[in-house]
Amino acid sequence: MPNAILDPTGTVTSSSAARPAAPRAPRLASLRGKRVGLLINTKQNARPFLEEVGRLLAEKYGVTLSERVKVNFAVPEPENVIKELAAENDVVITGVGDCGSCSAAAAADGVVLEAAGVPVAAIITDSFIPTADAMAALRGAPGYQYATTAHPVAVLTPDKVRERAAQVLDDVVALLVDGGNTGKAEA
Amino acid sequence: MTAASTDRAAGPGPDHPDNPDPDEAQRAIEYCYSRGWSDGLPLVPVSQPLLEQFLATTDKDPGEVIGSLEQVGRDVDVRLAAVNAAMAGCEPEYFPVVLAAFEALMRERAARGGGFQSTSGPSPLIVVNGPVRKELGFNTAGGAFGPGFRPNATIPRAIGLLVRNGFGIHPHVLEQATQGLPGRWQVCIAENEEESPWEPLAENGGVPGGVSAVSATLTRTMEFVDNRHTPDHEDVLRDLRDTISRVGSQIFPQSSVALVLCPEHAQMFASAGLSKQDVQNWLLERCGRTGAELSSMGKAEVARKSLRGEYEGDEAFHRFLAGPASIPVIVAGAKNAAISMVVRIFGEWSGTSVPVVEKK
Repeated sequence: MPNAILDPTGTVTSSSAARPAAPRAPRLASLRGKRVGLLINTKQNARPFLEEVGRLLAEKYGVTLSERVKVNFAVPEPENVIKELAAENDVVITGVGDCGSCSAAAAADGVVLEAAGVPVAAIITDSFIPTADAMAALRGAPGYQYATTAHPVAVLTPDKVRERAAQVLDDVVALLVDGGNTGKAEA
Repeated sequence: MTAASTDRAAGPGPDHPDNPDPDEAQRAIEYCYSRGWSDGLPLVPVSQPLLEQFLATTDKDPGEVIGSLEQVGRDVDVRLAAVNAAMAGCEPEYFPVVLAAFEALMRERAARGGGFQSTSGPSPLIVVNGPVRKELGFNTAGGAFGPGFRPNATIPRAIGLLVRNGFGIHPHVLEQATQGLPGRWQVCIAENEEESPWEPLAENGGVPGGVSAVSATLTRTMEFVDNRHTPDHEDVLRDLRDTISRVGSQIFPQSSVALVLCPEHAQMFASAGLSKQDVQNWLLERCGRTGAELSSMGKAEVARKSLRGEYEGDEAFHRFLAGPASIPVIVAGAKNAAISMVVRIFGEWSGTSVPVVEKK
């Protein structure tokens, strides 16, 4: 028997990540009148950013809004929170992932909520695309789609935050409904 | 120098037929690089017989899970820790210390909660106490932060490799350090108990003096305080306060530092009648800045009573350190100059130490 060099790497074993391909939730036909949950990760400017996205969606599609603050921005939400979010909302918008652990956690929350049947738009700053992609793949959803905005967000003034929220709006809608941005069809 | 390395230095000459084949060794090292296992430095290729030597030093089952990171969905067990410790260059006898260090580190909320993925790129700070320091040949004297001593150098590296390979946290992917710090995965000090006037750190962490134990937390950087000319211990305390009270490292209302005092400073404080707790209390009351100072540097959010608390006002003096657990005191280094180190802790030390358990 050859004297093999031993492999020091671990394998994915924990229950929440060991699932095979995570299913993506069916998209909605339209956001008209839907319940939108904002999952705020407490990072600087995350709240005004998501609230402005919510306000614009309410204005455009008459959605109803609810807010929830992440238990811990650095790690994915516990199972009971995921269940409640899935029960209380038709879609969830989460962010803003602008650090190593919180961008990965935003992607992970998105994948888990999708598997629970809720379309999600996670918003992540463009500095953290590799870590969000790696986390999504780890959670059984390689190629998972999310929205990005330019890094940094934390230093933006209130006006600039609103501007950014408006800029990302079409991408957020495209992530949540069939056939991408239905803004024109609804207009 | 350890007994083992002395033996090796006195080994057979360069032409002895039993010498290992360097070409074969290099191929094995390159193989490890090619698999993506390395932190950048050469690794020791691990064979089953070497792994078994490590596993023989502990009563733990090879399959026992010793750490989980739920967010990346990975568990680390004793066997995987042994492979990475061997790869890092540890001797088998170090393995119980590696296990204690990993357990101590995984007690840290910041380590479990995304610290290894963080933009802050923290390093473990590992502190070893008790007889194991001498038994394994740790450096307990000058050059406490390294390099030059195999256990001090390889044990923290083993932890780093375990995070990389066991948890799968690689730079630029799940590891997002902006700059990190020099010496990441290299900080393992053995307390200079022989020249410390106080109880060892492990005793503060709940393990009685004289028992081998490991304490660990995460650090973002460290800064020296060189103060060797004053006879007044309060001058030294004021100098420490000045360094601890820097604004750059403050990101939350409360922060935490480990004070690694040289024997000379520690003995100066003890001669003045100060216990560790006295030093901690002196600094707790005085380290901080006013709201106006913090605001002028864009850090108004630091000047709050808690994370979601209200701004305390421009005039208020805002203390940085919350309590004694926020300022563990360690004595390390040589008694040859009055140079101490302020180590910035990422989060807060768990306040607990882990005994080193050798095979019965």
